[in-house]
Formats: sequence, structure tokens, C-alpha cells
Amino acid sequence: MIEVNERVDVAAPPEVVWALLSNPHAVVNCVEGAKLGAQNEDGTFDASMVVKFGPAKVTFNTRIGLELDAATRTGNVSARGKDNQGGTRVRATMKFSVVAQEGSTGSSIPITAEVEVGGKLALVVESGASMVVKRMTKDFSEKLAETLANAPVQN
Amino acid sequence: MKVYQRLAQAFKAEGCTDTFGMMGDGNMYWVTELHKIGVKVHEVRHEGAGLGMADGYARVTHQPGVATATCGPGVTQLATGFVTAARAHSPIVAFCGESPTTDEEYTQRLDQAKFADACEAGFVRLVSPDTADDAVRKAFYRAKLESRPIMLSCPMDIQQKNFEDDDEEYKPSSAMFSPGAVHPDEKALERAADIVASSKKPVIIVGRGAQWAGAGEAVLKLADRIGALIATSLMVRTWLNESEWHAGISGTYGSRPSMKLFEEADCVIGVGASLNRYTTEHGYLYPEARYVHIDSEPHLLIAGGKSADCYVQSDARVGVEELEKLLAKRNHKSIGYRTPDVKQKLVNHSADRTEFEMDPGTLDPREACLALDKALPAEIGVLSGSGMTAGFVSMLMTRRRVLSGSGHFFGCIGQMLPAAMGAVVATKKPLVLCDGDASVIMHLAEFETMVRYDMPLLVVVMNNEALGAEYYKLDAHKMDVTTSMITTPDLGKVGVAMGGRGAMVTTVEQFTKAVQEWLKKPGPMMIDMRISRSVPSVPYRRIHYGRDE
Repeated sequence: MIEVNERVDVAAPPEVVWALLSNPHAVVNCVEGAKLGAQNEDGTFDASMVVKFGPAKVTFNTRIGLELDAATRTGNVSARGKDNQGGTRVRATMKFSVVAQEGSTGSSIPITAEVEVGGKLALVVESGASMVVKRMTKDFSEKLAETLANAPVQN
Repeated sequence: MKVYQRLAQAFKAEGCTDTFGMMGDGNMYWVTELHKIGVKVHEVRHEGAGLGMADGYARVTHQPGVATATCGPGVTQLATGFVTAARAHSPIVAFCGESPTTDEEYTQRLDQAKFADACEAGFVRLVSPDTADDAVRKAFYRAKLESRPIMLSCPMDIQQKNFEDDDEEYKPSSAMFSPGAVHPDEKALERAADIVASSKKPVIIVGRGAQWAGAGEAVLKLADRIGALIATSLMVRTWLNESEWHAGISGTYGSRPSMKLFEEADCVIGVGASLNRYTTEHGYLYPEARYVHIDSEPHLLIAGGKSADCYVQSDARVGVEELEKLLAKRNHKSIGYRTPDVKQKLVNHSADRTEFEMDPGTLDPREACLALDKALPAEIGVLSGSGMTAGFVSMLMTRRRVLSGSGHFFGCIGQMLPAAMGAVVATKKPLVLCDGDASVIMHLAEFETMVRYDMPLLVVVMNNEALGAEYYKLDAHKMDVTTSMITTPDLGKVGVAMGGRGAMVTTVEQFTKAVQEWLKKPGPMMIDMRISRSVPSVPYRRIHYGRDE
């Protein structure tokens, strides 16, 4: 089990951040190698994601569930899927919230996540998988911050 | 004639010229008879090392290596060597004493059949004096047929009985078993040709089976016709790299540029290679490829328990030649990968350019490997162990050599020094072993054996004063790495104390000088090369640190 406990600080105010994070398409755009597919009848989304473990690329086909609570500005994301060869499974849950930063107009986004990689690939990447997930989290944070910095200012 | 004498003569008649092991009262009479009839007995310091030497001998000659141990405690020392040799598919006959059949309370008693089975070795017991010939013949027959170690277990009391038919000539196993080349089935070959002909980016992966079958020229010709990249399994790294389209090792020890090219492959042709999880990274290296698998076994599953899209049971050389002929008949000729852009990507593709700060008093293992590769002529082989340091040797020493090998069969340490010694005995040529400190020290006593037999073997100890693999795994998990660190004495001085030559080096210049000294007069020598722990090998950077290098 890979555990992620990150906090992303951005200059944008909470309402702008929430507007972005509650839009699945905008969020997926912040994840490198991810593509959002069709929405299913149960509200989940199909998505694919290319992950690089060392020089090898692995494409995961996943189903993503999104629960958003606008009142508390919190979200739960769940994802589970297999790679395109069927040898590796991934299961992930993520919780995030958007809170105002004290003393500024910016926002903080605490993120906790648990990612489980099972099957053949887990044997190959060993502890490297944890590093990959953490690197992806960092990339996501940076892309999110960049997207918010370029977001139109709402009055 | 005593049974033990007949047994010794039968071994000689099987072609045995060298044996490796330690004398005890369960095998001492047989060993003495071997001396008497001119079979060389290499007395070692640990029975397991003796088996490792027989393993090295068998890997190089692909003929049965012979090891020996006494009963009970002599046999239990063979455990790791047996499993390693079984995984390496090394044909070996291990002559082992067994406790007397008349004494159930014998101190050194052991259920040797169960032991052999647990160690993945076959088992043949000498059950009576008049079956002595049958037992030896069966042991050699099975070793060659099954390509694994066979324990020939000979109860001490039966060895001492009279052998009555000593006027009869021993009939060796070769009289009953003479393997010929397996020819491919025509339909299977047609299916293989269909897949290859429809491919735009084929990769040929060669393994030990291709090398043993002498398939080199045939592979180069086929590769030229279909525009293939040539890659190897780890075990035959550098083989066929006279081709400018050689992409090095396929798998965990492969270079990044090669992996990017493999990703584009739409067809993989495995030739005498198992295409296991390491060679294909569970198939992830070749996400879009269809597989053609040529091997002499009736059938093999590739990584992930899958079957190739087309399996062709065939001797590697014959199979590749026939496939090439069939494609020629169809007028198939393709550029495949062979473009100037790809050629450029393959220039010095295995270079490791990542910078690290060296620990004080140590050298960069990568620079040392490059210097060693440059200093050693191509006729001197290089073997490496299976620990962390193997990543440097396997990826950076790319010069084509008469012999290049690795020891990853069982993932154990300690077995490559004996294997290298066996290889030296088999080839009678100078050889270099590069292995980690923990691995060499495990069977350090065998350096004295090297000296006794004046073996032209240079042992380069890539010494980071740690259990290297564990050091980096602990580090990646942010745990206490000091628990994996073990200081070592000056192993160069240890080599000298044992009667050989030795040096401790902390710079590439010192290392090169020591290697040059060995080259002037190859003999038993140990170089204690202090390497920096700050440099993990590329495979370790990928696997444990998730780096894309």
C-alpha cells in the first residue's frame, strides 16, 4: 500500500479552486497521461492513464468514482482498473478538501490517498512504485497550481 | 575389482576429465581411484563450492560437470549449488557417498533422495554391486536429457563390495542417447512466417539456446532480411553485437534508448531464449508485439504464463535458417527498424551519464567497468555475480568477448566465484570475475583453491562494504541503511596471504595498473576495488527509486 499525504498551496481563492476541482475534465487535464472517457449510468467515469515505471510505459484502464460535497468543499475519488495486458491491478482512493489559507486570499488543498498496485508489475517495480506515485502527485500539484494561476479571475 | 573402482572407471568412460569436491569417507575410495586412473580431482574447501565449479564447467561446455561430496553433512552443503545449477539448466552428475545400508543409526545418515528432490536435483541410487554401470550410465543420461544436476548416491558398503563383471567394457550413456537437431514443423513455420512478414518493427531476442545451437550467423541473416533489431537475454549479453543493429540486453538491464525502441515493436522473435519476466519485463517492454518463439523444447510459456502467438519447436539454428529461407521464398524483405535515426539512437546507447558525488576514498564503479572493458582483450571472458554490482558490469561492459556471463539463476550470492573457477578449468583460459564483496567473501576460502591449482582467474571485488542490494532497498524505504553495512579487511592482502597476488584500489588509475599487472601474467589474483555507495546501478534506480533512466 502506497500512502500519499500532500498539501498543495495555491494563490487562487477557495471558490476558484473548488470550481476547478469539481470539474472532472479539468482535474484530469492536470494528470499527465490521463484521458477521461464516457460517463457511465452510475455516475462513474471511464478513464485511461499512461504511467511510466522506469522507461517502460503501462496503460491502465480505470473506472473513476467522484463524490463531491460543495457545502464543505470536500471530495472523495476512487479508482480501480487493470493495465491493458491484464497483469496488473491498481486501486486508489483519494480524499481532498479546499480550505482558505489564513492571512491570505489563497487556498490550501490537503490530499490524502492510498494506492495499491498488485499483480505482475508490483513485482517488477518494488519500492519504485511508491516513488512513481509520489512523483505523479507532485506533478499533479504543480500542474494544478499552474492551471489555477492561469484561471480567469472571478469577481 | 571393487565397486568404487568400477564406478570411477565408468565416470572416466563417460568423458569425465575433471571433478570438483571434497573428500570424506563416503567418497574417498572413489576419489582415490580417480586420481589413479588420471581423472583430475580438484579438492575444494566447501562441497557447495565444488558443485558450483561443476556448474561453471557445465555452463561453458554444455557437457556434464562432475562434483563430489561425502554422505550426510557433505551432501547438505550442496543445497544452494544444486538449486542454482538446476535453474541454470546445467547438466551435472554429483557423486555422493551414502550411509551404509546396514546401519540405520549411522551418525551421518540423511534421506538423500528427499534432499535432492527439495533441491531440484534428480536422484539415482546405487542399489547393488551388479548395477554399478547402470547407475552411472543412468545418472549421465538423465543429466544430459534433463539438463540439470543428478545426485548419484552410492552407499558406502556397496562401494566396498566386489564388482564381478570387470572384464566387460562399460557402455557410456552416449551409446543410448545421442541428441540430434530438432527440425521445425512446416505448418508452424508458415504461421511464424505470416507473423514476421506482416511486421514492420521486429525484434529478435537471442538466448543461451541460440548460442549453444550455433545460431549466430543465421540470426544475423534473418535480422538483415526483416530489418530487425537484435537483442539478447541477460545471459548472453554482448553476443552478436558485431551488428550495428544490436540493441543490447532486452529486460531490466537494458538501456533506456533500447527500451524506447522495443516499445514500438510489433513482433518479437525469441530464439533459444525463455522470454521470461525479466527479459520482457512481464511483457510491458513489448506492449504491442506478437510473439514467435523458437526453441528446442516441446513447448514453453513466456512471461505471465502466456503462450507465444506462434511456437515453433526447433533447434535454434535450424529453425532460424528455415524461417529465413521461407521468407526469402516469399520475396519478403523489409527495412523494419533499420533507419539512420534508429542507428543514431543505438550509438553508445548504454552510457550512464547521471552524476553522483563519490564517497571519500572510493571510486565510481561505472568508470572502473569502462576502464576494465577497455583494458581486457576480447579473448578474455568476463563473468559477473547477481548482486547490485552486476548492473554496472552487465550494462557497461559491452565489448564482445569469448565468454560473458551472469549468475542470476537463483538470485543467490556466493556462487559465481566457484562457477568462474569451473569455467577456467573447462576453458583453460584466463578469465575475470567481477562480483560484490559479500558474494566473494562467502566462498573466500576457495581463493586458496585457485592458488593451489594456479588458476588464471582475476577476481575483481566490487567492494562497497555492504550487502549492496539490501542497502539500496533499505534506503529507498527510508530505513536504517547501516544495518546492511559490513566492513571488510583489505582483500588484496588476503589474496597475497593465501599465496596469490592482490591489491586494494581506490582510484581508476590504481585499478587499471593492477589489471595490467595481471594481464602480464594471468594467475590467481584478487583486486579489492572500493566503490562508492552513492552510485546505485541503473536497474536499481528504476526498480527501487522509480527513476526513468
